[in-house]
Amino acid sequence: MTTQPVAPPVLSTPDTHIFEDPTPVVIPTREAKLSDTETREVYEIERTVREIVEGGWQRIALQFPDGMLVDAPRVFSELERELSTREEQKSLATENENGNTTRTRLYILADTSYGSCCVDEIAAEHVDAQVVVHYGRACLSPTARLPVIYVFTSRPLRGDDVVGAFESSFGQEDEGKGDKVVIMADLTYHSHVNPLVERLRENGWKNVRSTEVIHDPTSSIPNRKIIWGDTEFVDEKGLREWKIWHISDPPSALLLTLSSRIKELIIYPTNSATTTSTQAVKANTATALRRRYALLTRLTTTPVIGILINTISVANYMSSISSLQKLISAAGKKSYTFVVGKVNAAKMANFGEVGGWVVIGCWESSLVEGGDFYAPVVTPFELGLALQADGERVWSGEWRGDFDGVLSASEKVVKSEVKPEEKEDKKSKRIEVEGNLDDEEESAPPEFDLRTGRYVSHSRPMRTAAPLSASQPSTVNQAEPTPTSQSLTRRAKLDVATVNGAVSPGAEFLRSQRTWTGLGSDFVEEGAAEAGTIEEGRSGVARGYTVGEGERT
Amino acid sequence: MVNFTIEEVRALMDKPTNVRNMSVIAHVDHGKSTLTDSLLSKAGIISAAKAGDARATDTRADEQERGITIKSTAISLYGNLTDDEDLKDIVGQKTDGRDFLINLIDSPGHVDFSSEVTAALRVTDGALVVVDTIEGVCVQTETVLRQALGERIKPVVIINKVDRALLELQVSKEDLYQSFSRTIESVNVVISTYFDKSLGDVQVYPYKGTIAFGSGLHGWAFTVRQFAQRYAKKFGVDRNKMMERLWGDNYFNPHTKKWTTKGTHEGKQLERAFNQFILDPIFKIFNAIMNFKKDEIPGLLEKLNIKLQPDDKEKEGKQLLKVVMRTFLPAADALLEMMILHLPSPVTAQKYRAETLYEGPPDDEACIGIRDCDPKAPLMLYVSKMVPTSDKGRFYAFGRVFAGTVRSGLKVRIQGPNYTPGKKDDLFIKAIQRTVLMMGGKVDPIDDVPAGNILGLVGIDQFLLKSGTLTTSDTAHNLKVMKFSVSPVVRRSVEVKNAQDLPKLVEGLKRLSKSDPCVLTLISESGEHIVAGAGELHLEICLKDLEEDHAGVPLRISDPTVNYRETVTAKSSMTALSKSPNKHNRLYMVAEPLDEEVSKEIEGGRIGPRDDFKARARILADDFGWDVTDARKIWCFGPDTNGANLLVDQTKAVQYLNEIKDSVVSGFQWASREGPVAEEPMRSCRFNIMDVTLHADAIHRGGGQLIPTARRVLYAAALLAEPGLLEPVFLVEIQVPESAMGGVYGVLTRRRGHVFNEEQRPGTPLFTIKAYLPVMESFGFNADLRSHTSGQAFPQSVFDHWQILPGGSPIDGTSKVGQIVQAIRKKKGIKVEVPGYENYYDKL
Repeated sequence: MTTQPVAPPVLSTPDTHIFEDPTPVVIPTREAKLSDTETREVYEIERTVREIVEGGWQRIALQFPDGMLVDAPRVFSELERELSTREEQKSLATENENGNTTRTRLYILADTSYGSCCVDEIAAEHVDAQVVVHYGRACLSPTARLPVIYVFTSRPLRGDDVVGAFESSFGQEDEGKGDKVVIMADLTYHSHVNPLVERLRENGWKNVRSTEVIHDPTSSIPNRKIIWGDTEFVDEKGLREWKIWHISDPPSALLLTLSSRIKELIIYPTNSATTTSTQAVKANTATALRRRYALLTRLTTTPVIGILINTISVANYMSSISSLQKLISAAGKKSYTFVVGKVNAAKMANFGEVGGWVVIGCWESSLVEGGDFYAPVVTPFELGLALQADGERVWSGEWRGDFDGVLSASEKVVKSEVKPEEKEDKKSKRIEVEGNLDDEEESAPPEFDLRTGRYVSHSRPMRTAAPLSASQPSTVNQAEPTPTSQSLTRRAKLDVATVNGAVSPGAEFLRSQRTWTGLGSDFVEEGAAEAGTIEEGRSGVARGYTVGEGERT
Repeated sequence: MVNFTIEEVRALMDKPTNVRNMSVIAHVDHGKSTLTDSLLSKAGIISAAKAGDARATDTRADEQERGITIKSTAISLYGNLTDDEDLKDIVGQKTDGRDFLINLIDSPGHVDFSSEVTAALRVTDGALVVVDTIEGVCVQTETVLRQALGERIKPVVIINKVDRALLELQVSKEDLYQSFSRTIESVNVVISTYFDKSLGDVQVYPYKGTIAFGSGLHGWAFTVRQFAQRYAKKFGVDRNKMMERLWGDNYFNPHTKKWTTKGTHEGKQLERAFNQFILDPIFKIFNAIMNFKKDEIPGLLEKLNIKLQPDDKEKEGKQLLKVVMRTFLPAADALLEMMILHLPSPVTAQKYRAETLYEGPPDDEACIGIRDCDPKAPLMLYVSKMVPTSDKGRFYAFGRVFAGTVRSGLKVRIQGPNYTPGKKDDLFIKAIQRTVLMMGGKVDPIDDVPAGNILGLVGIDQFLLKSGTLTTSDTAHNLKVMKFSVSPVVRRSVEVKNAQDLPKLVEGLKRLSKSDPCVLTLISESGEHIVAGAGELHLEICLKDLEEDHAGVPLRISDPTVNYRETVTAKSSMTALSKSPNKHNRLYMVAEPLDEEVSKEIEGGRIGPRDDFKARARILADDFGWDVTDARKIWCFGPDTNGANLLVDQTKAVQYLNEIKDSVVSGFQWASREGPVAEEPMRSCRFNIMDVTLHADAIHRGGGQLIPTARRVLYAAALLAEPGLLEPVFLVEIQVPESAMGGVYGVLTRRRGHVFNEEQRPGTPLFTIKAYLPVMESFGFNADLRSHTSGQAFPQSVFDHWQILPGGSPIDGTSKVGQIVQAIRKKKGIKVEVPGYENYYDKL
């Protein structure tokens, strides 16, 4: 059955994989091509142009999600036409003052490096853009460098159906009408919220509130503010009494975030083809949250954690990386930082030594789900929980996707962890003094792995490293008075790379877990096999080898 | 501690030839703890009057309440032989003086706590098997006896509750003799089934003095030897000869005054020597006292040389009987004598146990130290269980010194069950804080303990979860990990009522998992805290401990569930193929079922990943008909590198194959941990790698390309091989009178039970029914059975095997099994439908 590839292998990602994006993003599929007027409307050409002109930007990057790339050329041309007409008017008006009018240039950004919800600032910087126009649904995370014009590309919704679905989900009887409900929609449907609320108020739903988009993922409802009206104001605790009626399927990050903050989340699905029979369904987040809990507990005993960067555009991502690193090393674990572009299972399975991953992304894309990952992938918030001692961890069902909120918590942890460590330092030093008689010092106890119910040793490999490095200067001082010592000292074993005197967990993994150690290593194992004579093998490059005399395979 | 001091104990420890480590094992309710009491009263730990009622080794409140033993308890006793003559009867081993130290462990009898028995057996060399006269050898008697022999532990037997036979059943002497010999016969059948050459013949015979008869409740017992001693002088024959005559078809012909083996004399039935010389006095005492023949009693007592205390003379009926019998035949004397004479000392036992105890080569210093029971050799100590201390959350590590001497402050290497020499996994270095002597519920500090003794250790509990090896030698391998006869197949999930209590629950689960050798606590895929135990009773006790003691917070506890295993029932209908994400590597695999025998051998630890691959291949080829080349090319076991699934390399001349082995193995571990059907672990599957094509450049065949691909191809192969779901099945043994059998059958049938054996116990109206009952259907079985048989049936359930869940294919969502699968998937929060093989199969 050994089939040699007939054709030389293609060394690029096959076409079928281009659009494989592990983050589930609702990609709108348009049944019919939009007419020009519709295009202008949906892509808000006029508003965009107005803002561009007002901002006085000259180089503009247009970022489309993969599903909307089909419309990109037309949007581009529409924008260009509109801009040029404006510029003509403007240049006519200002002709006398300034002769050299630079034409505004537009760029379409292709192949966003990370999730399409985030603004791809890096790609935009390649063309030296001054502003990014972001189309489609967005996570509205604050950006670090560039101003952004968001175009949510509003999508149609049949008002009657929605009202019907709303009423049926709360029961049409009058007693239901007092329910406290907040109406909220996915960004692409947000334009329908206010009209819907108006209609519902007319129908006698007194306690229905609408929402307004704000650019703040950390607010109690991410990126939304509830319009309370004049009389009342409700804080986060009060929100627990309210239900949210959500138009379109929310991303799972939103689902998990909201689940602990509100009374109930009811989803009105919009992606089904059938328009009339849609029923609003209650979201069940309990199982999803429990699965997250199972996942994060797997990280409690992993010695090596990979920090995976899934954004480079969200503000203060750098500071969050460093605080995560601090957090991980305070827990005595080793962290490695990875930038892999778009996250997928194959890339991450290359790093077998990494026992778990934490994703730094925007509040939506930090949550990477899917069963195909070899090691668990969690959000910074979940990592914060996982690194807490078993005696402190509380899982109340509260969940957050952003890392901003985690930072303050992590700093607290780091501070509080410093003290016990100092104590431990002293203790282990004392032990060392005693232990000099025997050569080995006492080991730290193993940790109980909640996942499997077993003990795991070496779950905090870096913990032993710290005291060693601390004690090094003192030994040097002691050594100085007798520099001419003639006694033989044993050279430190340098089997594998060491960090501060402790074996690097990554190197240790390669040493102890890999059986393949190079050519000939299998010879001993097989044992019985007779050594053969050397034969000439294949030669050449991968696109076509030659065997012996020019015979190509 | 009344009769002897720690110093005396310590002195005896130095004479390992005079130490006896033994456990008391039996079926539930055959009277172990009660018998142990009579030994303790002899040692002065409890008063003689209370013996039999106190159950001093049942130290927990719920043990006393329920009247069953839950945890095994160790206690040290002092025993001595009265006469130097007796020493001559200790055959085959040396002794040093007449003083003996007996370390005794009372173990639970209920099957659910068998793991406690296993832990007790590991640290002892001998076992006192208690058998009920009336019930005879029961399922648990057989199980523990089998375990004991597997550990090379020599048994002696006591047939208990003889008083019941006399008082309740009013049997005749000959009937009693027959009943005894039947019981002995069935014990010997079990023993000879598990014959071990190095242990020698350990069958028990009354005439050798390895069987005692008695009543724990009344505190009396005797061996044939004791009577032989009484009569030897009278008849002027040698004691040992006398012993032989007092059992079996030996008769004393009063007419010829000669011994004979013929049962008749001139057509008249002679009375069997056993009946005449041993049972007769006992029957007479019973008869006289229970029938209130007050005038006969003093004469009888005088004749038998029984002297009563003045206030005891006032008693009558059962009370008097107890006192008389206890004075006549004190149980402790008979038992101690039997143990001292017939059970091996550590020196004797470790000679033949060393090779089964030690994982390493038989000629290294550790093994030689064990073999010689040498107190000066490097320390080899096995911790078999953890015993909670009064200090909450801390434990004594309970174990046995097999070689060397352990003392407080000694720095030792603590090797967990996964330790392999040369590696750092599961290896810790720590000084022992204190060594203690376990005395039932109490402990007494002791400075050091030499080889051959049982002890408790303070200060190392954080390093070992349940068991492990302690040593001072850098090169020592582990002492073999214990294999339990029970598995944690019943599970319940727990959650806190108040989210703030979670840390306490987590801490509680850790402690629970330490305190019991068998219980398993884990977090399931769906994020629930699971406690898994051997049976309903076991779980009930564990959860009660968890809620009231270890965690101390209110809990919500789910109904019991079982966990399933995924398997395949046929060979894959075609070779499964998966391509790596970059399409440059292809794996071809076929799944097929593994023989049930092989799976059982793997689960029993007789075939394992640590074996020498050539030896393993030989066993597989000779005993299970494997192809030798296949058997040599087993890449790994899974899940957890030791499960009952195999990955076999059947490729021929594939380049770079060794380079990708680690990646494929990782994928295999992953796939076998979470199967394709319901993300449950796989069992009993064999995967053959048929062929592999790999990209020539190493970068394109890294782990990232191959780990996910290996998992996909394994899933495809399994889905193509008619997957099935395995459910755990209990073996249930039910003792029931004939009248109530209908009820038993009714209940079993309703619960998918399947009776495969039904036997009447000779001489009783009791029937023993053996049946297989799916664990899933066993919840509430006991209560159900009780109500349908008006409480006359007593079931014992123990996990026996896995069986295919009947009712269709798990892939088919409309079948019964399919629906179970969908329910599991729904609970786990994954897509409800089982993905078809097309999801994992790539076309060429």
